[in-house]
Amino acid sequence: MTLLECRNVGMKFGGAAALTAVSISAEAGAITGLIGPNGAGKTTMFNCITGLLEATSGEVMLDGVDITKLAPFRRARLGVARTFQRLELFTSLTVRDNIRVAGEIRTRWSKGTGKTDTHAEAEHIIELMGLSDLADRDVAEIPTGMARRVEMGRALMTRPRILLLDEPASGQDEQETEEFGELLLHVRDEGTAILLVEHDVSLVMKVCSFIQVLDFGRLIASGTPAEIQTNPAVLEAYLGEDHSA
Amino acid sequence: MQDFLAYTVLGLCLGSVYAIAATGLVVTYSTSGVFNVAHGAVATMSALFYWQLRFGWHEPAPIAIFLTVCVFAPLLGLALEVLVMRGLRGTSEVTRLVTPVAVLLGINGAATWIWFRNSNRALVPKKFFGETHVQVLGQAVYYHQIIGVLLSIVIAGALYVLLYRTRLGVTMRATVDDRALLMLNGGRPDRVSMASWAIGASLAGLAGVLLSPQLGALQVFALTLLVFDAYPAAVAGRLRSVPLTYVGAMVLGLSKLYFDWISDAGQRWLVLRNLRNAIPALLLFGALLLLPQDRLRGAIVTRTRERFRVPTMREAVLWGGVLVAAVAMLQSIMSGSAVISLANGVALSLMALSLVLLTGYAGEINLAVFTFAGVAVIAAWQFDVGPTGLATQKSLSVAAVLLAMCVCALVGGLIALPALRLRGLYLGLATFAFGIIVYQLVILQTQPLHFNIFGGKFTVNLFTNGSLTVPRPHWFGIDFAGQRAFLMLMTVIFAVLGIGIIAVRRSAYGRMIVAMKDSPAACATLGLNITRLKLGVFMVSSAVAGLAGLMWAAERRTLPNNADFDGFQSLLLFMIAVVGGIGYVSGAFIAGIFLSVLSVVMPNVFNKLGSDYPSLHWLFVTVLGNFSHYVGPALVGIGLGKNPSGIAQQIMDGFRPLKKAPGATALWVAAIVGLWAATWRGALSHWHFALISVASVFIVPRIIMSVFENRFAEEERAVTGEDLDRIGIDRAFRASDRQVFDTALGLPVAPTGGAE
Repeated sequence: MTLLECRNVGMKFGGAAALTAVSISAEAGAITGLIGPNGAGKTTMFNCITGLLEATSGEVMLDGVDITKLAPFRRARLGVARTFQRLELFTSLTVRDNIRVAGEIRTRWSKGTGKTDTHAEAEHIIELMGLSDLADRDVAEIPTGMARRVEMGRALMTRPRILLLDEPASGQDEQETEEFGELLLHVRDEGTAILLVEHDVSLVMKVCSFIQVLDFGRLIASGTPAEIQTNPAVLEAYLGEDHSA
Repeated sequence: MQDFLAYTVLGLCLGSVYAIAATGLVVTYSTSGVFNVAHGAVATMSALFYWQLRFGWHEPAPIAIFLTVCVFAPLLGLALEVLVMRGLRGTSEVTRLVTPVAVLLGINGAATWIWFRNSNRALVPKKFFGETHVQVLGQAVYYHQIIGVLLSIVIAGALYVLLYRTRLGVTMRATVDDRALLMLNGGRPDRVSMASWAIGASLAGLAGVLLSPQLGALQVFALTLLVFDAYPAAVAGRLRSVPLTYVGAMVLGLSKLYFDWISDAGQRWLVLRNLRNAIPALLLFGALLLLPQDRLRGAIVTRTRERFRVPTMREAVLWGGVLVAAVAMLQSIMSGSAVISLANGVALSLMALSLVLLTGYAGEINLAVFTFAGVAVIAAWQFDVGPTGLATQKSLSVAAVLLAMCVCALVGGLIALPALRLRGLYLGLATFAFGIIVYQLVILQTQPLHFNIFGGKFTVNLFTNGSLTVPRPHWFGIDFAGQRAFLMLMTVIFAVLGIGIIAVRRSAYGRMIVAMKDSPAACATLGLNITRLKLGVFMVSSAVAGLAGLMWAAERRTLPNNADFDGFQSLLLFMIAVVGGIGYVSGAFIAGIFLSVLSVVMPNVFNKLGSDYPSLHWLFVTVLGNFSHYVGPALVGIGLGKNPSGIAQQIMDGFRPLKKAPGATALWVAAIVGLWAATWRGALSHWHFALISVASVFIVPRIIMSVFENRFAEEERAVTGEDLDRIGIDRAFRASDRQVFDTALGLPVAPTGGAE
């Protein structure tokens, strides 16, 4: 089932087109990859989906509901959560409070439905993210790789239907990335769909069931990991010349 | 029709001068990201400098204008950039607003000191070419005004050439877009900043000289306000666009002149006679409504330099109790006049407390705290005293206090609404404009207002006799009319409110507020309706400001409708609150006391010293007294760039060793209580008690620190398993750390004080 569908999304900054008629989608219960070289428009796409930017053309549909014009907080309440490539943590708060406050925000808007002990839930997420040792630290002073996990934990606290991750593995070492891959699969199995932007190609190939490739603001390829690995357009975009031969 | 055209011509003349002033603001903002509130002060200083050259020393006008606009003002601008504004990079929006406020107060203080210290002489400004004028459609247009228009056209052209045809201009525009990228490409943003501040100041100077003849006699703050009138034009230009700024300036000039026209120069409707002065502020609100929605932003700087710790509830309650006990003990040994100074300080602390929640936690800005006080006083006074007079209502009722708080919350909500979707700076400007509107149209309103509602006539007297008398409360069977009793009431209110604010900060609501300040974008993606939360916080804080304002007014008993409300007092309070430590309840207390000490106690002390030692009178009164009075608060604020977290944080850091040595601390407290008892019994003079206890505050923590230093360091490591990587980051590096590093690295342990 298609959970998130972007149809012909375009985004212009002044005269420059960051996205041109991009159509991508993400399936429920799956991890979908969104890759592409730097400047391809991946983060802009995320901004259009979450509403931090309003797409200049096209539509964004969540489970059949048109969310193109909704305010960011309304989209979040419908189940879209994200992390940021350029970290957006609450630097005055500890790791624990960063995650907890997200649950508190959720209880505020969910008005009783799904009301639980946010504190216990936060502890569970901290455990899940492997942040127990850092829980009482100020987020401003933990390493970037861990900070990305805090952002992911924070997003999970809103119990999203789809989680948009913007380069979550950058700043993590090889072993951490390995564990992180397992974590992504676990989150998927718990029922949260994931749209993953990531430069670590081996991670993307390992966890994603479907991959879409952007370059210069256009969708240049989509398919299974195996298909993408041999796609000439993708190779050209990444390596700069024709490697198909 | 002829009148209409004539007033249009005059309006455009005025608009041209506003355009010069506002463009200067835009030039500095667009290259440095600092909204230079002090622009008006630079203009004021330059106008006075020009007056001195032209009329004090009788230099010819061209020389005077050249020295003012091309030498003095640019140098002032350069000095500001190099000495002050450069330090503001990487600080929060609040700090970047407060520091120019401090500069404004400092420059104005210096100007007052230089030109208006001890004589009431009138500095009369004159127009260029005196009263020479031409008749246009029956109205006199002075050569002075024509010069203004011509200069404004020349400046517009010159700026266009500068920005689009010169290398410097290209670099300037590049700085706006991406400072880091410009540096990577070999640009030098620092030079660009210096150039833009010099140009901005020069334009301010020119505007000051051109505007000053509007005043019959030069007055520092009146002149600054005159230049403030041009600020809405810059907002209309979104602080970026010179052409839009020109449009805004023309609208401003025309609005004022058209008002003159339809109101017969203010003679027609007496109730509205101050409306002319409020027009720029009203237009500012209009401009804010027209501004496009801001893009939801993330953190501007990933890690601002301001860091605030949150006390636990136990600490909060403990320190609240200590505060009440300390004030109770102090007032028992203080003279009546000292109690008044202290009460004044506590009242100001209460006002500053409303800013801890608003600015310290939520990062929103309110530059009109005193205006909310005025609104609260008017509301409570109407309710309690208004219809029946003081004779029947001798005390402030609880109902009136609650009503006043509700009115303030509502008014606060209305003010904040248009600005909430914009950046914090605009909310600050909106509150300042609100302050000016209320001052001009309500506080200065000495006409009784007659209303006719549902057939019933009723009259509202605002400050009809130029002042309102606010009764003190009589609550819980206790009469708080006495100075000491009222001081204690205010202290208890401060403690209770302070504990409440800390409880809010520690609650889910408080975490949301702080999260919103840190990253609005992240909050929105978590489902938080930011505008609503911001609005709520602003309303709560306005209500607190209203309560505080009532207490402040009751403390003074009679509240005149004068300078407290003209905007500058609120600026000063905001600045001092930030200096005290805007993220801390204790910071608010420090701010209030500090303000009271600076404005009342210090001058008294210096005057006393001056009269005790007549041979040093010049030093104590002329130099130190005037300095602390006029420039002191500003210097404190300017220093903020270096330590943006405020005084409270520094004091707490200083006291940290005490926690580790409870025995020594108990001894110290006991000694102070002992001294207090001795003073109370009359065995020790007040001066000595004050001197010893204040000195001990500075000395004792140092002694404890030096005696126990090594033990602390080891304990700290043993308890926390301190991470060696973090020494020097989490806490300061100590001499004893070297040994630990050497051991950890397997190096031969160097003898203490040994070689590198």
